[in-house]
Amino acid sequence: MKSILKAIFTFIVALLLLLLLNTKLGSIPPLAKFLDPFHGFWKNAECKKKPRTETLTLDELKGRVEIQFDEQMIPHIFAENNYDLYYAQGYITAKDRLWQLDFQTRFAAGRLSEVIGAKAIDIDTYQRRMGMVYGAENTILEMEKDPEIKEIMGAYTAGINAYIHSLKPADYPIEFKILDYQPEDWKPLNSALLLKLMSAVLTGGSTQFYMSNILSKYGPDVVKDLFPDYPFGEDPIIPEGTQWNFKPIEIPKQPTALPENTVCNQTTKQMEEGIGSNNWALAGAKTSSGYPMLANDPHLDLTLPSIWYQIQMASNDMNAYGVSIPGAPGIVIGFNANVAWGVTNVDANVMDWYRIKFKDHSQQEYWYDNKWNSVKSRIETIAVRGGKTIVDTIYYTHHGPIVYLNNQKPKGLSTCDNIPVGHALRWIAHDPSNDIRTFYMLNRAKNYTDYREALVNYTAPAQNFIFASVDNDIAITSSGYFPLKWDNQGKFLLDGSDPANDWHGRIPVDQNPTVKNPSRNFVSSANQRPTDATYPYYLNWEFANYERAHRINQRLSVMTRASVDSLRSLQNDNYSVLAEDILPILLSAIDIKSLNATESKGFEMLRKWDKCFHADAIAASIFELWQKDISAKTWADQFDVTNVPMRYPSRDKLVELIVKEPNSNWFDDNRTPQKETRDDIIRAAYKFAVDSLQRKYGAISGDWKWGNVKHTHVPHLAQIAGFGSKFLNNGGSKTSVNATSERNGPSWRMIVALGKSVKAYGVFPGGESGNPGSFYYDDMVDSWSSGKLNELVYLQSKDEKSERIISKWELSKK
Amino acid sequence: MLFLLIIITCLILQFFLPWWIVGAVAFLFASWVAKSAIQAFGSSFLALFILWVAMGLVHSIPNDHLLANRVGQMLMLPEQGFNWAIVLLITGVIGGLAAGFSALAGFYCRQVFSKQG
Repeated sequence: MKSILKAIFTFIVALLLLLLLNTKLGSIPPLAKFLDPFHGFWKNAECKKKPRTETLTLDELKGRVEIQFDEQMIPHIFAENNYDLYYAQGYITAKDRLWQLDFQTRFAAGRLSEVIGAKAIDIDTYQRRMGMVYGAENTILEMEKDPEIKEIMGAYTAGINAYIHSLKPADYPIEFKILDYQPEDWKPLNSALLLKLMSAVLTGGSTQFYMSNILSKYGPDVVKDLFPDYPFGEDPIIPEGTQWNFKPIEIPKQPTALPENTVCNQTTKQMEEGIGSNNWALAGAKTSSGYPMLANDPHLDLTLPSIWYQIQMASNDMNAYGVSIPGAPGIVIGFNANVAWGVTNVDANVMDWYRIKFKDHSQQEYWYDNKWNSVKSRIETIAVRGGKTIVDTIYYTHHGPIVYLNNQKPKGLSTCDNIPVGHALRWIAHDPSNDIRTFYMLNRAKNYTDYREALVNYTAPAQNFIFASVDNDIAITSSGYFPLKWDNQGKFLLDGSDPANDWHGRIPVDQNPTVKNPSRNFVSSANQRPTDATYPYYLNWEFANYERAHRINQRLSVMTRASVDSLRSLQNDNYSVLAEDILPILLSAIDIKSLNATESKGFEMLRKWDKCFHADAIAASIFELWQKDISAKTWADQFDVTNVPMRYPSRDKLVELIVKEPNSNWFDDNRTPQKETRDDIIRAAYKFAVDSLQRKYGAISGDWKWGNVKHTHVPHLAQIAGFGSKFLNNGGSKTSVNATSERNGPSWRMIVALGKSVKAYGVFPGGESGNPGSFYYDDMVDSWSSGKLNELVYLQSKDEKSERIISKWELSKK
Repeated sequence: MLFLLIIITCLILQFFLPWWIVGAVAFLFASWVAKSAIQAFGSSFLALFILWVAMGLVHSIPNDHLLANRVGQMLMLPEQGFNWAIVLLITGVIGGLAAGFSALAGFYCRQVFSKQG
């Protein structure tokens, strides 16, 4: 009897143990499954050495494809036709980035809960309610009307799926093993979702909610003063004084009613500054070669695997090199033998919120154009791993979805802070578009005319497309669908019942801001205002602060006989125009006698500082905290009000006050009995800055250096510990051309020197492989961090020999 | 004998079958040749410990232990150069425990039947 019990007991223990080791518990992967060296994570440990040649049989190919890999494992695809070219791009992208493709698509589609469970429900609901899937569905319908685009989307999809189907579970990327799920088949809709995600990142930062609150609290005069439409120190993309050689269409009339404010239990947050991208192109007259040069560094949140995927793509009608978005066919930023192009974000106002008045509690009819109109319901089903499926109904007006009704807005999700409850969303990302067409044509462009034709198809997210061609044309165009609006339409929340508040079609695409071969012999952009006040249309009232643009234009205008290195040094320029503008005033406000020892030492450093945010500058750390606290001390008393979320005025405005209005009432802290002046604020903020550094890092030492205080590093996309980069000791600041901060920075740096044979240089903060177990996962991070560029391998044909090619694949059908 | 049977059979079967096949293998062989509970557990534990550590090394050495060190950090180990060795040890112990307990169950089950037989 005893032995039977023993047998049963040990049998159950063994069974439970096996079961336990095969189950995912919370965020702990199924242990034995994960550690098993035959199928688990050890299988993802890649060998450094790559085989010289490999052959692959892929039934769906039409001809032969050759992929050559350079020493960074960047693929160079040579195909005989376009179907095979995009098929191979899909295949190779999946080979390197399968988990990233899966995870980003799930994030965009609001499907994270399926794999990570209940903790993702709020973010999934948010994505669904913002209409991400709705927008992607509209877009895919539009793309399918274009036979060429439909073909390449199909080819790209088939390529990804061919790779997925070749895998056994042991071959899945490591993140699938950690999160314990399987890749699923790719659909063209996923590509559309990723483009919508770009729109969400680059056009989603609406402040209308906050601006309306400010308007109702302080009135139109204060708004005009603190949130001006054409701020201090602008240096627009299209040089001031450029003539508009078109006849503008009629601007719609502005209705008279002003919106009311919306109260909720949220408080003001310091605005996280937008993403700081730069691009510029120099005419041959300014370069040492006599041919144009082009530079671009789009800034985004830094993550591993890299946001971009480098690739060379050649077929019977194209041979281009550049970076692609994993999940979208073609090259987004790059060059071919004749032209080069790049982008920065426009930040046009293409997201508007409309207040909705319902007939009754059923919320089925809303007031618009003097009658009741029915809402349409859209049902979103969110499957939750280890939980009950959620069915969510979203009401759509003719404007778009009402993102949150009363009590629907989740409390713990800061992403949705700027969304006013009970408002419908009109957003460009919901509209049908065929943006892939633009890149398809740019990849094949030969000259300026081709460039202009390509841009006609571009909708969103609006970008400043910069261009240079070997026949010595340079140009820049703010491209995208810009709704035709009355002045300032969308600066504040809009009344959704009045048709005068709707978008009134678009600014004619050939009237988008553009300039070709300006007399200053260069074009540039840094997310600043596209035009001066003479442009007849309204794009937005606020753009990026002027500092980066100003610095770029200053340096480019004096540049002669420019080389690749002169452009590289500008990309890495850490000089702060903000410091140039305000530091002398800040220093003169300090009473040296009142300083303690540490404060005096810091003051001396600031006095000698060259105003560059270099990694080893201690003064930069003090200045950064100082200017931020001046802003907080100036604005907090007026704009941090419980239950009325607002925002602070832009930095440009604060600079103007500091420089021109030292006695402004805005400097007074209305929470204290005495009256503070600018200099009082400056002094108090200085003590605060030095004090904070001292509390965190002790007495002044190497720990105070800017590189350490800023602490840039590149985390993993799903924040998995150990899968990010190490700490990177580098310079840069939001007010420098090199706008690197703790978590965002240049996601790709490229310089193209056109000429008889084009030469190009580039680097991104990561590597080609998405596998943390690969030597090519982060092999470019150090070069990127130290501001170096790699010479890019651009092969004229597949037969061109290069010493830097280390491996070759032959792909064909049976 | 038990040790060799398990290590060789698991080495072959694991190329085709999921990891839990090691439980079945240890159970069967222990119920057949194990002479005592301690030997059943000990030999099976050792067999799988050595098999998994060796296979882990096969993948990890050409990788300069890059991935194993990262996984170490994921498992909350501090950032250090020898994390891979700790991860390898954990791998061996997990494999060993799975096999050891299965073998123990096998041994005791056989005892029930041999006594009755």
